[in-house]
Amino acid sequence: MEFVISHLVKNYGSKQVLKDVDFVFEEGKIYGLLGRNGSGKTTFFNCVNGDIDYNSGSFYFRENKDSEVKTELLPQDIGYLVSTPTVPEFMTGREFLKFFLEVHEDIKPDKTIDEYFDYMVVPEDDRDRLLKDYSHGTKNKMQMLLNIIASPKLMLLDEPLTSLDVIIAEEMKNVIRNQKQGKITIFSTHLLDVAVDLCDEIVLLHNGRLEPIDKSNLGDAAFKDKIINALRDADND
Amino acid sequence: MIKEYKNILFKVIHLRSIIGYNSLVFALKKTPVIGSLIPDKLYSTTFLKVIYWIFHVIAEVFKLFIGKIFGLGMIYLAAFLLSDQYIEHDLGQGMSQKMIYGSLGLFFFLAYAFCGILIRVPYFICTTEKEYLVFMLRMDAKKLNDTLILYDLAKLFVGYVITGLFALLTGAPFWLWLGIPFLAVLIKFIGIGIQILGFKIKAGLHKSFKVSAIAYLVRLAVVLLVVPFFIVFVSNGYFVPLHWLLIITGLTVIAGIWGYLEFRRSGTNLHRRALHDNINRTEAKASRHDQYDNTKSFKKIKAKGTVKGDKKGFEYLNALFVKRHWTMLCMKPVVFTIIVAAVMLLLSGEFIYGYYSRFGAENCWNMVISNIINFFTFRGFDYALLSSETDSAFEFFRYVAQFHLLALMIPLSISDNSFKNTQAMFINCDNSLMTFSFFKQRDKIIKLFDIRLKQLIKINLGPVISLGLFADLILFVTGGQSYPGEYLVTILVGLMLSILTSVTWLSLYYLFQPFATSVVAKSGAYRITSIIIYSVAAIIVWVPLVSYILAPVLLVFTAAYVFFMRNRVYKLAPKTWKIKA
Repeated sequence: MEFVISHLVKNYGSKQVLKDVDFVFEEGKIYGLLGRNGSGKTTFFNCVNGDIDYNSGSFYFRENKDSEVKTELLPQDIGYLVSTPTVPEFMTGREFLKFFLEVHEDIKPDKTIDEYFDYMVVPEDDRDRLLKDYSHGTKNKMQMLLNIIASPKLMLLDEPLTSLDVIIAEEMKNVIRNQKQGKITIFSTHLLDVAVDLCDEIVLLHNGRLEPIDKSNLGDAAFKDKIINALRDADND
Repeated sequence: MIKEYKNILFKVIHLRSIIGYNSLVFALKKTPVIGSLIPDKLYSTTFLKVIYWIFHVIAEVFKLFIGKIFGLGMIYLAAFLLSDQYIEHDLGQGMSQKMIYGSLGLFFFLAYAFCGILIRVPYFICTTEKEYLVFMLRMDAKKLNDTLILYDLAKLFVGYVITGLFALLTGAPFWLWLGIPFLAVLIKFIGIGIQILGFKIKAGLHKSFKVSAIAYLVRLAVVLLVVPFFIVFVSNGYFVPLHWLLIITGLTVIAGIWGYLEFRRSGTNLHRRALHDNINRTEAKASRHDQYDNTKSFKKIKAKGTVKGDKKGFEYLNALFVKRHWTMLCMKPVVFTIIVAAVMLLLSGEFIYGYYSRFGAENCWNMVISNIINFFTFRGFDYALLSSETDSAFEFFRYVAQFHLLALMIPLSISDNSFKNTQAMFINCDNSLMTFSFFKQRDKIIKLFDIRLKQLIKINLGPVISLGLFADLILFVTGGQSYPGEYLVTILVGLMLSILTSVTWLSLYYLFQPFATSVVAKSGAYRITSIIIYSVAAIIVWVPLVSYILAPVLLVFTAAYVFFMRNRVYKLAPKTWKIKA
């Protein structure tokens, strides 16, 4: 399965944020979407998720690059983790999970609610507290958990590790790695180290376009310099 | 020192001008229809900024005089007119008109100024520009306050001197013209000194410097109580002898000097803390027009209990939502119902008392009970009416209850809490769930919409039934129903109107989703549609229609309207009901 973005354009007034985004994402990979602050990462996700209208372009799934059949992107195909997790604060974690499982009649849960909490390492004493009293990290875990249960084809992770402590960040990274099979994961960040550590592919969003970065030397110092220079160049364009 | 004050003053006025100009452009950009036509460039257009600056200076000059003309000008005028009357009616105790003028003028001014310092000493309120200058730009709080106080006092002095010139022409004594500006400045210093003393005491007790709202209300009540006393005192031809006034003036001067010394002695830390504890966010937000937000008040979630029974999915979500937001969602309708019930109780008491005074204790109850039986068997009882109950007022109310039931929309719009319900739905529930894909699926959206609509109708049942019963009581008291079933039809009409209100607010929320990160409705289309609906409703309210025709018409219309709106939500909400990015 591939997720295709074809000539996506998004303007805010006279400002062109996404100029001509044209890219193919492949199943089973985590894509690190790197870009500077304000480069349009969240706008890109909001367009894909249907939260904002875009000026032109299209998205669809296809089996492979030779496939003629285009499958429409439906809301249930997308899982979206926003950087500042928002959860219904009037519910407890357990109530929220119960509600979520009930409205997803098509999902046959393979775990009990507590087993799901255990999987995401949600502390036991948090499970029956209102979500409004959860820490940022635990709210993030809840958001992630629901997206794991829903098992969408496309996961959009908008800087999900921002402001998490090291332990929770590591736990989240492991979950993201474990969940990558059978889906396409696009992980946005402005932190190069996180992208290098977690992602199979690196994509730069600069100058309103997506550009793949050669991954052959992923991880060495020269590679990092190359990305930094690419982003600097983009800024000077 | 003067140069430093001048620099600070220019910075303040410049900042005020920037804040004012940017707020104006911001408000224009948020205005429906024309807002989208206004370019961002307007924020940096020098020419328009200069124009705004000129208007700002004109406004400053205008403010310099306006308060003085309406305040001191009225005092001089009253003193002039009354002194004339005192002479005419020989109430002057041998004083010349000039002396009476001066005596009354001084008396009024002292009362006015002391009332003024009781209700308004704004120097330690942290306005937007003070907040920026002190807490963001690190300006010395005392120097800023000193500058603003001296600037205000200078404006006060000049304004009073100029206003007094007109008073001189009407015969005011020279000492009054010259004395009042000095006295005004000293009285201001008394107010400032008292506030500083209060802060010092609070600092000693480790208490917040926040100006107490209760203390303010007490002071306001004192002023409101004192004012009638002055009016009665003066209108009866009395006046305080001049020598007493001069003694009070002397004491005021001493107190004013004390206030000035307190003001001079106060340190930077005291000023900074006073400003910090009195940041006036309401003013800052009001000046930014629709920036005002009360999201915090929606965050008061009560973690009480859970939902029992077999509710599942969206039913479960809604039940939990209502349970944990009960006070926020239901308090207003409940209070409204109680008030209507209390009024009905009073009316019933009055009604029964009428029977009691006419028929005596025993027969009174017989009459009341027989009429209640008539009420339930849908029969009239005009033979039992008291004479007073056939007068024109009763006829009027009866006419309203029979032909203007659409007017129930007015009290219903007061009791209806649907808009606030949608605000709470968004900020505490949908805002977060909208990030999940299942929440945006058409069938799920309409499922939750139906549940919520029923919920809103249920919440509004109390006010609707109480208002229906109120209209029934009017019918009952003024001769009973004019056709069988009128009592029930009246309640039915109220119910239909309430359903219309609920479905309107809920549909608008789903079709326009006007909220961003706060509960302020930002969508221009939402506002315009609301205004159109309100305008149509305001016209319809006045249409006379007898209830037995109105009820079936309304029944059909409500059914069609609910069907139509539900259909629109089903078709459009997957695209419209989303987070505003």
